[in-house]
Amino acid sequence: MEMEPWEMWVRSTELHAFVHHYETRLWPLMQTLHLFGFTLLIGTVGSFDLRALGLAKGIPLAAIHRLIPLGIAGYIGNILLGIVFFFGHPEQYFYNNAFRLKLLFMAVAGINILLFYGSSAFEEVKTLPAAASVPLRIKIIAGTSLCAWVAVLVCGRMITFNRPPFFH
Amino acid sequence: MDTFLAFVEHSELSEWVRSDCLCAFPTIVTLHNIGMAFLAGGSVVIDLRILGFAPAMPLKPMARFVPVLWLALTVIAATGMLLLIAYPTKALTNPLFYIKLCLVALAVGLVYRIAKHILRAPEVDQKPLAANAKMLAVASLAAWIALIAAGRYLAYTHRWEMLGVPAVL
Repeated sequence: MEMEPWEMWVRSTELHAFVHHYETRLWPLMQTLHLFGFTLLIGTVGSFDLRALGLAKGIPLAAIHRLIPLGIAGYIGNILLGIVFFFGHPEQYFYNNAFRLKLLFMAVAGINILLFYGSSAFEEVKTLPAAASVPLRIKIIAGTSLCAWVAVLVCGRMITFNRPPFFH
Repeated sequence: MDTFLAFVEHSELSEWVRSDCLCAFPTIVTLHNIGMAFLAGGSVVIDLRILGFAPAMPLKPMARFVPVLWLALTVIAATGMLLLIAYPTKALTNPLFYIKLCLVALAVGLVYRIAKHILRAPEVDQKPLAANAKMLAVASLAAWIALIAAGRYLAYTHRWEMLGVPAVL
């Protein structure tokens, strides 16, 4: 397959040269950090989602929501790492259906987050008494979040098994 | 040892896991990862709470998350066994694999201790935390960091051994 102009540009960047030069040491390290980020994301956001869905009802939703900034930190770290991965081997990601599906589920999770913070759902979370039952709308958002993040993990893991059969 | 490893490696189950089917190795390793994210992630959240993060969150009801962690551990153990049956020589000839097993024992043991002695301690949210609570939480965090790193690096150290040169990807 011929190299497209966008890929020629990616391969002309300093970032690509850096990843390429230090690849043997950098790649396992970045993958490990990527797993740390995901563990933090699933741990915090997943706990909040499970609580909203009815597990551990003794925890006020507002209190467990304080975990979310850590999940966001993990998410931002992983996006940055993802950009570095992409610049290292652009064709291995761009022509990869697992990677494309992963972006799709990241978009689903992102839109879901916007729905949560952009609507009155977030205000409800902040004021909901500890013992009160969680409104259905928030449960749907939590369930969508949980499924979307697990799907992101599944697609991410599948990238390896769906690599295009060529290296540039 | 070698004949035993060869026996396992040539079994039908081992060959099936290594087959090209997406339902075999890729699915098994993905389930292993999902389990890891929930077990380590859930445990890390408990550790961070003990260390003072999200202090408004009561510890006692957090014990309700522990069965989810044990469910994740069950998935990890079952899929881990299948991965080991698929590549016994690759795993059992790599010193890092034994380090990883020790870290699993340590991290899981700490989840058990933290659940039993901190989360399920009587009046845990009314009284100050046990003196060793923060130490256990730090040890747990360190164990998960080391364990995840060991798990990821298994894929690379194995290649270094096989080829004698640093591998790419």
